[in-house]
Amino acid sequence: MSLEIKKAAVLGAGVMGATIAAHLTNAGIECYLLDIIPFELTDADKKKGLTEKSPAWRNRFAANGLAGITKSKPASFFTKKNASMVKIGNFEDNLDWLADVDWICEVVIENLKIKQELFAKVEKIVKPTCIVSTNTSGIPIKDISAKFSANLKKHFLGTHFFNPPRYMKLMEIIPGAETDPAIVDFMIKFSEQRLGKGVVVCKDSPNFVGNRIGVFDMSSATRLMLDKKLKVDEVDAIVSKAIGRPGTALFGTMDLVGLDTGSHVAKNLYDAVPDDESRETFSAAPFLEKMLANKWLGNKTKQGYYKKVKDDKGKTVKMMLDIDTMEYVPAGKPKFDSLAEAKKKEDIRASMKAVFNGQDKAGDFVREYFCKNFIYSANRVGEICDDIMSIDNAMKWGYNHQLGPFESWDAVGVKEAVDVMKKLKLKVPQKVEEMLKKGCDSFYTTKPDGKYAYDFAKKGYVKIEENPRIIILPALKERNKLVKGNASASLIDIGDGVVCLEFHTKMNAIDDGMTQMIHEACDIVEKDFVGMVTGNHAANYSAGANVFQVLTGAQLGQWDMIEKGVENLQNGNMRMKYLSKPVVSAPAGMALGGGCEMAMHAARCLPNGETYMGLVEVGVGVIPAGGGCKEILLRLTEGIPDGVVENGLNMQYYMAKAFENIAMAKVSTSAAEAMELGYIRKSETINMSRDQQIYEAKQLVLSLVMNNYRPPKPAMIPVMGENFRGFVEGVIMNMRYGNFMSDYDLLVSRKVAHILSGGDCAEGTYVSEQEILDLEKEAFVSLCGEKKTQERIMYMLSNGKPLRN
Amino acid sequence: MSDAVIIEAVRSPGGRYKRGGLSQTRSDAYGIQVIKGLMARVPELDPADVDDVIVGCSFPEAEQGMNLARIIAMGAGLPISVSGMVVNRFCSSGVQAIADATAKVRAGWSDVIIAGGCETMSHIPMGGAAMRPNPDWKFDGSMPNVYINMGNTAENVATNHNISREDQDKFGVESNRRAFEAIKAGKFKEEIIPIEAFKYKVKNGKRIRETVVFNEDDGVRWPTTIEDLGKLKSPFKAGGVVTAGNASQMTDGAAFSLVMSAEKAKALKLKPLAKLTHYAVAGVMAEEMGVGPAYAIPKVLKLAGLTTKDIDLFEINEAFASQAIYSCRVVGIEDRYWAGDINPNGGAIALGHPLGCTGAKLTAQLLHEMKRRGVKRGIVSMCIGGGMGAAAIYEML
Repeated sequence: MSLEIKKAAVLGAGVMGATIAAHLTNAGIECYLLDIIPFELTDADKKKGLTEKSPAWRNRFAANGLAGITKSKPASFFTKKNASMVKIGNFEDNLDWLADVDWICEVVIENLKIKQELFAKVEKIVKPTCIVSTNTSGIPIKDISAKFSANLKKHFLGTHFFNPPRYMKLMEIIPGAETDPAIVDFMIKFSEQRLGKGVVVCKDSPNFVGNRIGVFDMSSATRLMLDKKLKVDEVDAIVSKAIGRPGTALFGTMDLVGLDTGSHVAKNLYDAVPDDESRETFSAAPFLEKMLANKWLGNKTKQGYYKKVKDDKGKTVKMMLDIDTMEYVPAGKPKFDSLAEAKKKEDIRASMKAVFNGQDKAGDFVREYFCKNFIYSANRVGEICDDIMSIDNAMKWGYNHQLGPFESWDAVGVKEAVDVMKKLKLKVPQKVEEMLKKGCDSFYTTKPDGKYAYDFAKKGYVKIEENPRIIILPALKERNKLVKGNASASLIDIGDGVVCLEFHTKMNAIDDGMTQMIHEACDIVEKDFVGMVTGNHAANYSAGANVFQVLTGAQLGQWDMIEKGVENLQNGNMRMKYLSKPVVSAPAGMALGGGCEMAMHAARCLPNGETYMGLVEVGVGVIPAGGGCKEILLRLTEGIPDGVVENGLNMQYYMAKAFENIAMAKVSTSAAEAMELGYIRKSETINMSRDQQIYEAKQLVLSLVMNNYRPPKPAMIPVMGENFRGFVEGVIMNMRYGNFMSDYDLLVSRKVAHILSGGDCAEGTYVSEQEILDLEKEAFVSLCGEKKTQERIMYMLSNGKPLRN
Repeated sequence: MSDAVIIEAVRSPGGRYKRGGLSQTRSDAYGIQVIKGLMARVPELDPADVDDVIVGCSFPEAEQGMNLARIIAMGAGLPISVSGMVVNRFCSSGVQAIADATAKVRAGWSDVIIAGGCETMSHIPMGGAAMRPNPDWKFDGSMPNVYINMGNTAENVATNHNISREDQDKFGVESNRRAFEAIKAGKFKEEIIPIEAFKYKVKNGKRIRETVVFNEDDGVRWPTTIEDLGKLKSPFKAGGVVTAGNASQMTDGAAFSLVMSAEKAKALKLKPLAKLTHYAVAGVMAEEMGVGPAYAIPKVLKLAGLTTKDIDLFEINEAFASQAIYSCRVVGIEDRYWAGDINPNGGAIALGHPLGCTGAKLTAQLLHEMKRRGVKRGIVSMCIGGGMGAAAIYEML
């Protein structure tokens, strides 16, 4: 059976449904978005001349959903242009559209009867091969599908996205008892490869995995606050990055999600798990009931656990709820010794351990909080999922925890935690005692052939299955696959004759070590390999050049050194571009400045969907000098057909786009937008699964090799010459007039214009790549000598944001 | 020397930029229709007697290029013996064309001329599609800034001459109110030539061009309050005061007048409407080009030996409220704005400023309002990009 999803439908256009639809378009899937028709015509509708027959009224809910995702922040769409891939309609008039879709994802209100009635209608229309799923977060799959035909049951499963679907990695897949295993397998692969999700397969149990453990985690922490008589800000200081929790901490996250949503889920859970040993944890504390009654629901009602107010001077002050008095009081920044100790640790495991062993209120809190979580999680394995990885992954991908409960348990020591549990008189799960007795003192372990995880059912370690599509560079290094490396970068053999050039400086900033490795990598690849990928697992591909080195050079007046550095980067990039073997860049996260330039100087680029790319050098008073100006000029003009420039094509719009990108330091918010800005060619493919990006880039290298790769012909770039400088002057002088630019911005912009103009030549002249590179170098060095550029660099280094001077 | 008279002055409605009634119609297409409409109103005139067609246009390129005047003359069905010429003095081009026609007729070189202006702003960007400022120009103050953005000049007028944001917004609201009232009262009906405008549509899956009749100015924003306008931000200057609410709208339109010698009019037994008696242009600083009328109006009055008291009605182009207010203040006629003697039916803030067409459009508006009022003398004036002002005195006949 060959399954494919080309077209999908999302039923229900609330926030979740609409954002799922948006993400499907990000994956290149056309999507219908349907919802109910409104209950009645309002007076306002009648005034507008709407009737019960008007599509504008009938499709209102879906239209509102589409409007919401078009404006949402953070953006739901990779690019607003994707909105045209969503077609809106309603359940009364447009259910027949479902006849040609390959996947239907239901996201209507959490009401069993309503879902059943809708599916009864849907079943009559869909084609027999259509995959049908529900995004329910709480209703059992078996109840929803109870009355389905045998065929629909085979094609039905739970697909539970986490909000916001574009950004949250977790996707829970819940097969029903009769779901065809081939469909389950397909949906796992589809979710991973096409939607870029991390899949956790769950059993059909209340709240599945993420929300079962997550709701326990949050409810338990809230109860502990009451027991330990801590304040809201104290708990948030503790349940923080130090123990691998997101920056919004506990109550900040609850405010973000909404207390009504959170307590609704907790209440459902309470009702659904009569036999849960910790059931009472899910019942709402009296103060929480009061908050709900007062509509203090969090960010959406502008007050929850926190509230922002303005003081007499108009300054924003963060207030927190004092749960004893139910009044808002100023929130402080509580300090704890153990947290200060944890901050000194570089590794999250060591940091967790430092707090867990702390002899202060924070340590006391975390010991009990962690132990309760550990116990609850261990007790759930077998009930909600089959293995410990599922719970760890769900908490990492769905709740942004840095480590899952079992990984955390390993971090603080399994035995050590069990001792604490005993001291706290908590009931240690017998299976954990058994595990320790067998001499297994951690949940995860590494053996020469890979990673293993403890399996409670099998009472021993079981090898974690490796996905061949996931290439893990550190694991390869451990297996002696490092070809060459220095402190800044490594060249790793990723198999089949392909190497990966991995950067690993802080923020992957480009330094001399990195440029040196580029040159060495090119030598090595030329000799011994078939091609190269540039990519890494860090949050950011590369945040740009190490400006500290530039500043030091400038302050010491080492112009030769600066010039040499620029040349080295330019030559390294040009070598990658013209290497006889194909180079594929695999940017993800930030690819800024020099990082953007490196990504552009590859035969092909395979960006992850979440790629934030831009030539941002003007922010620190310099210009792209690693070939960025040259490459953007080239990319924006390479589609111009032969002879058209000679026939008088007005190139100002092409050139203005290059100028705007650089002078305004435009950064894409996705790979799709990077294509619109011109940093990535529109003919490239976007990778959705960050985990699989290096594998896919490698496959691209191999396909180029298979097709007798030849490096590109040296390019000649059409320019506008001096006329472009006049054109830019006309624009920037007006911006200076309007105070949108400083005098120094003007100076830097003129340098950009000079490079893009191609120098002193006539409109329509073709220049070589090297000519533009030389103009870049000259401008870069001269700007480094400017006091205001040095001030900009210094300010960026100390404040992390650009200075306008 | 023979006298030159104006038999009729007409215009198309003003269509809003990009979204208005003319935004999908080529400017030559509606230019042709306005000339046809004008000729239809003077059936006594043999088209072969028209000597020349003079068309004011600020960006005579693309669909307005290739000598727009000759093209629309031929398109309007005038015989090949009729010539055509485009004149460009930016925002005064339309009235410049009428002034040039008047001068030619007075010199005895022509008997009958169609003169006016035609402009699409929806299709051709300000500055032109291929703007090429001189790269050797000095922008350090040593040379006049002839490339400056018009919005910045308006900001300069406001800053240098203390025109408050509130005064500008008040003026903006009043312009819209007057235009709304005028349209409601049907005042423009007489001067407007309805246009068969293009609308591109998808019908039954096929793309088609439909024709719809466009007969009313569509830029008026009413109701509008000072509070509404107060919320708008200046796109030209950080913290600036010139906004979309107190600046002229970008608009499409065409307007033409029929100029002929008094003898010819007499021979054809035509009753002249008015005549252009004097016309002057004054150069001012490019950086505050909006002050143009403050120099051009006194200049033309001096030429005619008149004072503002002799002028019954004014059409002063509202390129920006800041410059319109300033110009009225300097000339000493600000109170006459509020008395209703200046832009009585609203100005460019509400009805739009189709650049090269504007001078001819304002002429049509002025002459028909003077006719309604039964008054004698009027002035059309405007500021001009690059730093100029123009003013024309009309006398009703």
